[in-house]
Amino acid sequence: MSILPKRLTQLTLRQREERDFYFCIALWLIGFVLFTGGPVVYSFLMSLTNWTGLTNREWVGFQNYIQLFTTDPLFGTVLKNTFVYGIFSVLLGTLLALGVALLMNQKVPGISIFRTIYYLPSVTSGVAVAIMWAWMFNPRAGLVNYLLSLVGIQGPAWFSSTQWAMPGLILVSLWGIGPNMLVLLAGLQGIPTHLYEAARIDGANPRDEFVHITIPMLSPALFYVIVISMITSFQIFENVYILSSATGAPGTLGGPGTALRVYVIDLYQNAFVNLRMGYASAQAWILCVIIMLLTWLMFRINRRTVHYEAAE
Amino acid sequence: MLGIAPELARKVALAADQITLTVAHAWETAFMPHQEEWDKQFMAKNSDITLKDINNTWADHQTIVPTWAAAGQLPDVLYVHGSRAFPWSKEGILIDIQSYADADKAFNVAGIWEEALRLYRYQGKLHSIPYDHGPVILGYNKTLFDKVGVPYPTPDWTMDDLHQAALKFVVPGKQWGYGGYYGSVGFGNEAGGAHLFPWGAKLFTDDESGLAIDSKEARTAISFWYDMIHKEHAGLSQSEADSFPGGAWLSGQVAMFGLATWGAPQMHDQAKFEWDVAPWPKGPAGQHTGSFGSGYGVTRDSKHPEAGWRYLSAYLSVEGMQFMWGSSGRGSPAREAAYQSYLDSPLAPKHGQYFLDALKNYAVTGRPYQSATGPQVMDVVNQNQTLLATGDIDVETFISNVLEQTKPIFAQKS
Repeated sequence: MSILPKRLTQLTLRQREERDFYFCIALWLIGFVLFTGGPVVYSFLMSLTNWTGLTNREWVGFQNYIQLFTTDPLFGTVLKNTFVYGIFSVLLGTLLALGVALLMNQKVPGISIFRTIYYLPSVTSGVAVAIMWAWMFNPRAGLVNYLLSLVGIQGPAWFSSTQWAMPGLILVSLWGIGPNMLVLLAGLQGIPTHLYEAARIDGANPRDEFVHITIPMLSPALFYVIVISMITSFQIFENVYILSSATGAPGTLGGPGTALRVYVIDLYQNAFVNLRMGYASAQAWILCVIIMLLTWLMFRINRRTVHYEAAE
Repeated sequence: MLGIAPELARKVALAADQITLTVAHAWETAFMPHQEEWDKQFMAKNSDITLKDINNTWADHQTIVPTWAAAGQLPDVLYVHGSRAFPWSKEGILIDIQSYADADKAFNVAGIWEEALRLYRYQGKLHSIPYDHGPVILGYNKTLFDKVGVPYPTPDWTMDDLHQAALKFVVPGKQWGYGGYYGSVGFGNEAGGAHLFPWGAKLFTDDESGLAIDSKEARTAISFWYDMIHKEHAGLSQSEADSFPGGAWLSGQVAMFGLATWGAPQMHDQAKFEWDVAPWPKGPAGQHTGSFGSGYGVTRDSKHPEAGWRYLSAYLSVEGMQFMWGSSGRGSPAREAAYQSYLDSPLAPKHGQYFLDALKNYAVTGRPYQSATGPQVMDVVNQNQTLLATGDIDVETFISNVLEQTKPIFAQKS
């Protein structure tokens, strides 16, 4: 006869499944609370202080948030830069990833080698890649301007120019299309071939197939790629840090001027250089809200533009 | 067995009194063996102290220290760049060591350059001690001077002489007369001293409560350098400077540049041309340049501040400076008594004496170094200075931008 209370030995199937579920995620949950959730809550509390990041802190309420929206001379600039980068890098990156995925979806010998080659850039170290791109875009000795000179174009100063720094950064972002390409490739390979066969029977040409079959059927994967890319692009830091450290006078992160002063660079500058950790924490929370709002907006648009096969 | 026990007891007693001092440095890896050699010598003379080094890159050190401070895990002794001395002292990361310095007569704190000491005082008390302090003087490419046939800079050079000489080197896009200090004509700290002081101009007011850049002298000084860059092409524009990732002044295509002692080892290693130094030229307001440096302090988390002082007292003594920075050629010792060891080192330039002359006679520590808003203000100044260097704005716009954009920063402080 069991010495345990009856209720512990006679769990329903559902209760047993729940118990097993929580047991399985317990480790992750503990890690999340300790290393993510806890610090997130702490950062919110710090955003309500004037903490320098060193020792002393004083409660200031929502003053940091008010200052960010009313007196910070760079807030508008960093938002603009971040949105410009986000929109163009996501748009161009998605189009390029789709184009490459369409090419990779061909049944030719050795296609897996090409898929590997296109994915490889994504697994290289971000810092090393950024340094490489700084060299590639070097105004005098870089490969990009050299190639342009072969066709009679005098290349711009790229990351030393206020006009060309952002386009250069957007171009650099296209290096990392590998993961998105794979997602879209998987999406392409999941499109039932009978749809194309039926369309051809009905007289559809390749353009019709692409517009009326490929894109709608790929829309869930496209939506995923766009949302994830958007979230990532708003947090761009590494490339800007390296590219603007490799150029410009010492202490000019996000330069020249404020050409590359994106949101997280400004946050970093405030946190670790200007010693305004409380203020930077407020910036982090505002960024979180912005990203959440944009994601919500995209999900709203999703209802009209994304076709889920099962739902239909 | 009876003979072993007292020996064992002695070792146990020693171990019980043993202090472990953690010291955080920000050296390049190649310099660490030299540091370790000094550590061995120190530990041999101080058998009750075991040193444990932590070394990070300079950039990492500036972000790791706040993290240590927030966690209450600062090492016992810490490298402190001059630009961090004020905020770290204000925040209580570094302890007041004035009483230790005053009590330790053998240490002779008065033997350290006053311009160096002022960086590390907080509320009138020393919170760290400088290990090096260097002025910006004129470095020049002798090979290029010989090739173009221009006589080398002399001690009586004025800024006009520099200007006239710079023009003789111009080959548009390929060769320049003046390359700035680390590739740019900056205005903060030691760079500001070099580029503004000779005209009687300055960036900050003396109490760092505002900017002093809105003056005729500042306009004249800034126009001098940036006309050389944009109108005469004798100086490097932003894109030209950036196109030399290692530094234009190392390329052999720049005739003259601002150089501090900490730049000399890199010149020695990487410059493929003959080079030397000359005094910083005199401007209309006389001979002036900027200086800056770094030091070490004892932190508030140290459980052995007395041992920390013993370390500093030895490390930053004449002998310590001679060993660490003088004879190694690593930089400009913060004591005049240790300076000859630097001048005798293989990495010092032929006329390294001019560094000492500048320190003794006309180098002044460049601001900001005594305000919490300094880094924020310099962020604004540097952003606009790069726009000057790209040619996107002119001198008037630079001055008005900087004044306008720093108003809310100074207003917060007050």
